[in-house]
Amino acid sequence: MMLTLTGRLQTLGVVSGAKILGRTFCGFMAAGLSYAPHVSAHFIPDEGAGTQVDAAVVATWRSASVVDQYEFWQIPGTLMGGDAYPVTSGLSVDEVTVKAARRVDANTFVKLGLGVHQGGSQSGDEHQSVTVEHASLGFICCETTGLGVGEIAAEFVAEIGVLSAAFTPELLSHRSTASFSEPSLIADVFFGRHFHDQGARVWLHETAGWSVGAEIWQGKAFPSTEGGDGGAWDVFARYQFDRDKLNMTLGGWWYTADAQSRADHRYGGGHQHTPVAPPGESASQFPDIRYTGDVVLLGVDASMAYQWTAASSMGVQLSWAQLTMDGALHDSGGREAALEADQYAVWVQPYLKWQQHNLAVRVERLVADNRLSGASAATLGESAGALNVSGHTPQRASLAWTYQWRPQTAFRTEWIQDETLEDAQSRFTVGVIWHGSLLSGGHSHGGY
Amino acid sequence: MVDDEGARESEFDWRVPASIPLPVEPEDNPMTEAKFQLGRHLFYDARLSVNGEISCASCHHQSKAFSDGIQRPVGATGEVHPRNSQSLTNSAYFNNLTWGNPALATIEQQIMLPLFGDNPIEHGIDESNFEQIIMTVQADETYQRLFLNAFPEQDDPLWGDLAWDNVVKAIGSFVRGMTSFNSAFDRGELSASARRGEALFNSERLECFHCHDGYNFSDATIDRGVAFLEPKFHNTGLYNIDGMGAYPEPNTGRHEVTGNPDHMGQFRTPSLRNVAVTAPYNHDGSVATLEEVIRNYARGGRVIATGENAGDGRISPFKDGVLVPFRISDAEVDDLVAFLESLTDHNFLTDPRFSNPWESTGENL
Repeated sequence: MMLTLTGRLQTLGVVSGAKILGRTFCGFMAAGLSYAPHVSAHFIPDEGAGTQVDAAVVATWRSASVVDQYEFWQIPGTLMGGDAYPVTSGLSVDEVTVKAARRVDANTFVKLGLGVHQGGSQSGDEHQSVTVEHASLGFICCETTGLGVGEIAAEFVAEIGVLSAAFTPELLSHRSTASFSEPSLIADVFFGRHFHDQGARVWLHETAGWSVGAEIWQGKAFPSTEGGDGGAWDVFARYQFDRDKLNMTLGGWWYTADAQSRADHRYGGGHQHTPVAPPGESASQFPDIRYTGDVVLLGVDASMAYQWTAASSMGVQLSWAQLTMDGALHDSGGREAALEADQYAVWVQPYLKWQQHNLAVRVERLVADNRLSGASAATLGESAGALNVSGHTPQRASLAWTYQWRPQTAFRTEWIQDETLEDAQSRFTVGVIWHGSLLSGGHSHGGY
Repeated sequence: MVDDEGARESEFDWRVPASIPLPVEPEDNPMTEAKFQLGRHLFYDARLSVNGEISCASCHHQSKAFSDGIQRPVGATGEVHPRNSQSLTNSAYFNNLTWGNPALATIEQQIMLPLFGDNPIEHGIDESNFEQIIMTVQADETYQRLFLNAFPEQDDPLWGDLAWDNVVKAIGSFVRGMTSFNSAFDRGELSASARRGEALFNSERLECFHCHDGYNFSDATIDRGVAFLEPKFHNTGLYNIDGMGAYPEPNTGRHEVTGNPDHMGQFRTPSLRNVAVTAPYNHDGSVATLEEVIRNYARGGRVIATGENAGDGRISPFKDGVLVPFRISDAEVDDLVAFLESLTDHNFLTDPRFSNPWESTGENL
């Protein structure tokens, strides 16, 4: 659908090549879904388009919880955190987002995005606070100064404020735009599911297929911490190729962060207690083990799509990320153990789209090689989850079928074979996705 | 891959579960079974006192987890100790010894106080009698053998200049070896009442575990994995005799040593292991039962209506901030006590390994 629109707009001469590429960039994580967002995290509103406001709601019923209510979700061999809460059985509102954008003038734009995402905790309390995901001011520069390639002008963009990361499309994965209701292992384990932080971004924005940039972060977003030596920065490059019915994207990124006494804020990190379990059940206190040290991630994202008719397409997406950590685990009791970690995760996602139907498969795998040393290595490693005693290799296979019932409403059902924990689990889901424009500003973009 | 850098290595059989880190061994007094056994004989030997009537075991009874069951013990000269006898359970895991002295970091340092101290006098050993006392030890054939076994690197461990030093190290080794991790709690055999009590113990309402945390139920716990631990002492609002937070002299806790007014009434968190058999409670043994301890905490401090120690500990300016009043029903008190009772290691209380060796030889000292 996106490619069809692109060709149509090019034919009509409505938008420039650079702007067209901007739309397709947003569609990477949508896996070909026709409800790709208008106002995405990296959407740059058009001049004269007025204020644009989009909203999305995703609700999903699941047949099983990934862990019991009074257990912690800790994938063996990893240090998790951020907002990577386990999915729970029953009905869950996975996501509520409202995003607005406005082009103030030829060179300035503003964006605001609010989000509520599914949480949940060991105690059963829901963690569903409203989060400001974007609140940024952007500047566009040099669009017509001839720095571009051939007939296409280069577009340099600088943004500052609360931003969502642009270095990997993995982190654009809202459940309303992804094929699956559950984020990937890369997003959950390496980035704590979401990445919104105060920072700044400078990039060459989708010029002749290229997006190249750098971002610097205050460090609030997992896996970093703010203050002191905390903080993070990244660089990225992505190239998109469009030819007839074929669309390909290839990107690479490098991210580095400092963490100071980083906690797993899902369960610990502050004043914490053993959750009170009802009679007959037991609950244990979360071990508040912290990590201090360096975190370096690098990754590659790729996608290929072929659209053989106006209503049908097929493609495959791939994401690979490697995490290295060099630091120490420690606790409030003065225990400390050195940690060197090499972990990688990968997923492959082929999909097939025909009319209102989208069928996607995702296969994921995570491998952790951690080296712990020190008198408390075993104790802290086991408590923190870094010690993978059994050598278990987390993996997961997911199958999703999405039916686009109305332009703004879709139904999704999934089957998931989850082997991220040592006890394998199968679960299925049924959900509804609403994603629409509340205020279009009199100028329509995108795929519906 | 895990490299614990020898954290589980020791010549001594600590009898500690794999899930519990091993204690720190002093470099100048590494643990050996021979020293442990020598220390056990010395611990129970009343000859190590000015009047031949006081041994370490006089105030540290095995059946009471090496406490003594009375409010305050009496020394060899009749002097009453201002402090309650602490249990010696898992002493090896404390980062400082005694109730309120942040300077006592090793068991060997602590042992010098009851043996040779004069404020108060406990064993009453001093310059006037120490030679005579060690001579009684030297004359015992059992000790001649035990000292040679315990200190094989020394030519003359019993008669040489290091004899008293060896006495202290041996007793220190015995006390350090008193490990206890075989309670119903450790075995996961809690009753329904104890499980409810455990939840209360860790609840937002009661806050018990903030100070009594970890495997030894004390925030003053140190082991081989702990790089450094700040001294941790707490004022629990037990006294407020002048309305300004004062504790009765000389029992002012950490303040007694440091002189820092902010340290008034601060005492080290005792372990709760075997706590059910170590009554009476608190640093001066002034609280008779666990139930009473819990109710003092529930009130946010102790109120003493009459007498020389009258005062409202709830409003002490030195009281630890974590101590806030909470509501608790009688049934919940029972549950909490049941949980604390589940921390009793009954095997520890009767284990022949820690018992009086002189009884088995017919010499009841």
